[in-house]
Formats: sequence, structure tokens, C-alpha cells
Amino acid sequence: MTLKELKVLWLDREALALLFAMPLFFILVMSFALEGVFQAGSKGHPIEILIVHRNGGTLIDQTIADLKQLENLILIETYEGNPVTPHGAEELIRKGVYPLALLFPEGYTERILKPSKDPQKGEISISLLSDPAINLQLLATVKGAIQGVIQRRVLLARIPQRFKEMVGTFDGMEGQIEKLLEGKEVSNREMSAVSLIHTFPKGFNVGRRPTATEQNVPAYTIFGVFFIVLTLASSFLQEKKDGTFRRILAAPLSKTALLIGKLLPYYVVNLIQIGLMFCIGVMVFGIKLGNLPALIAVSLALAAAANGLGLLVAALGKTEPQVNGLSVLLAITLSALGGMMVPTFIMPNLMKTLSLFTPHAWALAGYHDVIIRGLGVKDVLTEVSVLFGFAFLFFIVAFWRFRFNE
Amino acid sequence: MHPPILIVRDLWKSYAEIHAVQGLSFEISRGEFFGLLGPNGAGKTTTIGLLSGLIEPTQGQILIDGIDLFSRPMEAKAKLGLVPQSFALYPTLCALDNLVFFGRIYGLKGNRLKERMANVLEMVELTDRADQPVATFSNGMKRRLNIAVGLLHEPEILVLDEPTVGVDTQSRNAILESIKSLNRSGVTVLYTTHYIEEAQRLCDRVAIMDQGKILALDSPDCLIRDLGKGIIRLDFNRGIDEKFLDQMKHIGFVRVVDDQMRIIHIETDQMDQASREIWELMKSRQGLLKTLDISEPNLETVFIYLTGRNLRD
Repeated sequence: MTLKELKVLWLDREALALLFAMPLFFILVMSFALEGVFQAGSKGHPIEILIVHRNGGTLIDQTIADLKQLENLILIETYEGNPVTPHGAEELIRKGVYPLALLFPEGYTERILKPSKDPQKGEISISLLSDPAINLQLLATVKGAIQGVIQRRVLLARIPQRFKEMVGTFDGMEGQIEKLLEGKEVSNREMSAVSLIHTFPKGFNVGRRPTATEQNVPAYTIFGVFFIVLTLASSFLQEKKDGTFRRILAAPLSKTALLIGKLLPYYVVNLIQIGLMFCIGVMVFGIKLGNLPALIAVSLALAAAANGLGLLVAALGKTEPQVNGLSVLLAITLSALGGMMVPTFIMPNLMKTLSLFTPHAWALAGYHDVIIRGLGVKDVLTEVSVLFGFAFLFFIVAFWRFRFNE
Repeated sequence: MHPPILIVRDLWKSYAEIHAVQGLSFEISRGEFFGLLGPNGAGKTTTIGLLSGLIEPTQGQILIDGIDLFSRPMEAKAKLGLVPQSFALYPTLCALDNLVFFGRIYGLKGNRLKERMANVLEMVELTDRADQPVATFSNGMKRRLNIAVGLLHEPEILVLDEPTVGVDTQSRNAILESIKSLNRSGVTVLYTTHYIEEAQRLCDRVAIMDQGKILALDSPDCLIRDLGKGIIRLDFNRGIDEKFLDQMKHIGFVRVVDDQMRIIHIETDQMDQASREIWELMKSRQGLLKTLDISEPNLETVFIYLTGRNLRD
């Protein structure tokens, strides 16, 4: 019995290889991806932040120099060779290229050193722009660190100024005062004039913060949608095994019509599945879905990609163990890689790049654009096109590899 | 003679170095019961795949009712009904649902579909089980439903690929009888089998296939008359010597089946005389003969005569 089973296993080498490949992939992908969860914002996994300032003066240079000392941040001052503008920063965050941006107001140094006596005019705001999809805990950590640096630098700049105002010039004293204040708490009174305001890019739904549900419902919906791959591929395999494909193909029916007829129900099932998941999200967790046409566009494209992948697995898998193994491997690995379990922005750069090769990442970006960022159809066209592109690619390869008569 | 409903010309199918079908050419007349007889692996199923448009040939032409199968596949396929070797049914669906699905694929709908479903179910005696899942059917019932699906759109030619494999004798007889009665009603039948008795009982003409080629094609009677020798199979306890072999060559045509010269076939038209002569020869070699089988001329002996092998080897 044992020998027979070993022989059966050995003869289906692809299935056997998948048994080993599956845990290997899980270990690799999950370890790399989850590394970000525990170490995001740490020395090994710093967060990129855009720095926007226009001739802000020496104080900004000093603040930036201080921020550069923080091991959990990477400062990006130029994009494609040009200094980042406020509008550019908004666009880059909107597109999900960077998660954060720090915007200093014009004449920052001057306004800090020569504060207006009018308390309203004297208030200086530094904006911390963030992607609404960013993890809130991570955002709080980063915000706290930035705030600390800014406060310290403002204090160091203002204390000598105050002395000068009160008792005249003390040549050579500034350096010593800075030394004295190193590491000391900053008084609220000194800091009150400079505030770090957290905002979202314009046009985003800034009225509320994304909740865990708003992040998780789309992610796990996508995760579930791709499980159609197993059902669909197994169904194709069963038709081949039962000989029903032979019978259908002997009928006056084209292969294209056969495949479309076969795929259509699964496509509809996927759409119902998505609808149901979002209904639960709305009714049980009270999430707001945003622009409905945009949500539908992403969903249609997502279901097409999932069905395409299902057909591809059906074309590649020759036996039941192969189809099962490949389906589970793809469902879990692509989900992890695509940011369903861990947001992609806290993944290492290599993983971030790899995630762009998964339909999952694009679907999640699309759903986040609609649900969290409050964007419309026009704004999700890229994600929708990429998802349909994936679907097209999967279908083409599947048609090429599909053996109807095996 | 009726005009041909199926014409096959120089049909080849090769997979890399393997030639599954090698230059088949034959015609089937309208209303004929035509058999493809050959052992497993002879190329029968590949031939059926080619004839039903499932497999692209490497070379050759197939005309169904004058329509080229490969240039006008939709029209040609509509004239052919296939009953595959596997059940090719959806086990979780009931018989009616299976018929509805396959009927619609062939363009049947409405009352016409209902009428045809009722007819075929009655023909295969499954009317009372029509609304039950196919998974609950016996193998014989599944085979009958398989045939019903093939007949649903009233094809000009019904192609049956080993339709009695895996069924008990009683069901087998019922299936064979219903196929024969279909043929009597005017349906042309192309029937593949490796059962001699089926081919002999049913077919007007038989093509004997082996290794992708047709070795002989004629009516069973003509094949047996022209090529069917009686065969005496001798199985010895040990290999025989050349001298003894030479002695047997006087009795009939001798074919040594194995390398150790332990099994030989003697092919002859004079079975009685040959049996007596063998008996005489064996008297001086007590204990040498293990078994002796005598086969009267039939399609099996025709196959052995043509290939040197049994159909079920």
C-alpha cells in the first residue's frame, strides 16, 4: 500500500513539487511581508516621507538635518530630479507612491524667528499629509517623532531670540544655550505657535479616518474572490475527467463559446460574493462604500482577473492534486504578496515591487481609492485597466495552454 | 448501395514520433452498421476523436454527408451524434437536466426539445427515472442515457465508442438490441468495439484495425470466408524442438507465438483432420502438451491470422 502510494505520488511530480513549494513560498513571502508589521518605522524598515519646502531658510535646513538623524524615516526631497511641490506631494500620495509628506509653510524660518504679535497671524502650521490607507499606529509613531524634532528645533531657535529681546546681545552665547537645552522638554508656550496638522490630500474623504474594517473588508473580499480559482479549475478538470468536454466539443459549439459559457456563472458568483461581503461591511460594521460606480468598476475587473487565473490554473493543472496545490499556493501567496494580510507600504522594497505583479495589490489599491480615499471612477481607471490587463493575460496564456481533449 | 454518409480519405494523426492513425481511408453508406474492430490501443478512439472533430488530423479529409468536417465544422458536427466511451454525463444532474443541456447545445428548444427528450427516454427505457440524479443510476442505465444523449438531435450518423464496456450481460444485450433497432429505423451507425461477438452480431461491414491501420475491411462473413482459418492453439509444458515443429508444419500453417517455442498456433481450413493428426503426433510425446484450444473460424481468428496476436493480448 505504502509503496503504491509513493509510486502514485512520484508519478505526479508536479503535485509533489507543489507540496514542497507551498510551505516554502509561505515561509518566504509571509516572513518578508510580516517583517514590516513588527519592524515598520524601525531602522531596518524606515518609512519614506516627502519633504516640501520653498526657500524655508536655515531653520528648515536644521530641522531636515535633525529629521535625517531619525533611523525610522527616509526623507525624499526631490522626485525625478525636481524638488517636491505641495501639489506634487499630494499627487504622489494620492497615487500611493509615498505614504507621507511633510509640508513646511513659506517663510518658515522668518516667521519662527520674528513671530507676529497678532496671535492669529503668528500661528504657524506644518502639514503632515498622509495616505488615508496608512496604518494609524504607525502614523502616530511617525507623527510623534517628527513633532519632537520640530519642537526642539523651534525652541533652540527662539530662546536666544527671546534673550536678545529681553537683555540685548550676548555674543557667543547661542551655542552654549543650545547645549544646555539639549534633550530638555520644550515648554508648551514656546511650541504653541507651531502646530503639526495631520491632513489627507485634497479630494480625499477627510471627514473621517479609515477604520480597521474599511481596510480589512476589501482585503479579505479580494482574498475570498481568488478562491474561485480552485472551484473553477476543479470544475474544468472534472469535465475533462467525465468526458463531458469531449461530448460538448463534438457538438456544433465553438471553444470560445464553451469557455465563456463555462466561466460566466463563476464570474457572476464572484460578483455576488463581492456584493455580499460589502453588504456585511456596511450593515454589520457600518463602513461607507464611497462612489458606487467606481466600486462596481473595480469589482468587475477584479472578478475578471480571478476568473482568468482560474482558467489558467485549469490549463496548467493536469491532475486533481496539481490543481488543488496550485490554487491554494496562488491564493495564499498572491494575497500575502498583494497586501491582503500586511499593507504593502510597510513591506521591504523588493516585496513592494513584487506586489505590483499581483492583481490583488491593484484591486486593493482600487478599493482603498474608493472606500478610504473617496475617489471616483476616473481616479480608479488605472487600477481597473491593470486588473483587466491581468485578466487578458491570464486568458491568453490559458487559451494557449488549454488542452480540451486530454 | 446507398450514397456514402461518411467519407474518410488518407487520414493521419501523429504525436511526435507516434503515428496513432496511419492513412485510414473508408466510406460508410447511409443506413449502414459499420464496425471498427481492434484491440485496445489500435487507434479506434483516436479515429473516433478525428471523426467527431475533437482532434485535428495531421493529414487527410473527412466528409460527413458531403460536408468537410475541418472547413465547415459546425455544419458537419450537427449531422453527427457521439456516444463516448466514458459516461460523459453530469452525475449530480437528473437525466432530464442532462438531456436539456445537451439538447440546447445542438440548438433544440421548446416543444421540439421536450418531444425529443420523451422519445429518447422511452427508447432507452428510462422515462420513469428521468427526474432522478444520474449518480443514482447503475452503469447499464448510465450507458443507456449516454446513448440517449447522442440520439437527441437525430443525427445522420451515430458514432458509438465501445458503448458496452463495464456493463453486465443483461444490460449489454438490451443496449445492443436498442442500437440494432435504431439502425433498422434508418440511423447510420459507426461502432467501435474489441468484442468479436458484438461486431459479428451487429455489423454490416467491419474494418479490422491494429496499430493505427486498417488491416481488412469487409462484411464479417466475407472476412471469415476469405481470411478466417480455424486455429488450434497448443500450449506445451516446455519448449519444443525444431524436428517436432517441422512435423506440425505438415498439418497447417504454423505460427510460433513465444520465443521459447512453448505456444504455437496451427491455422487450417481442415479442422477435423488437423485435430486427428495432432492427436497422433502427441501420442509419442506423453506429458508434453499442457492445453489445446480449438477455435472455429471467426473474426477473432481473422485478427489472429492478420496480426499473429489475440484481440485481447
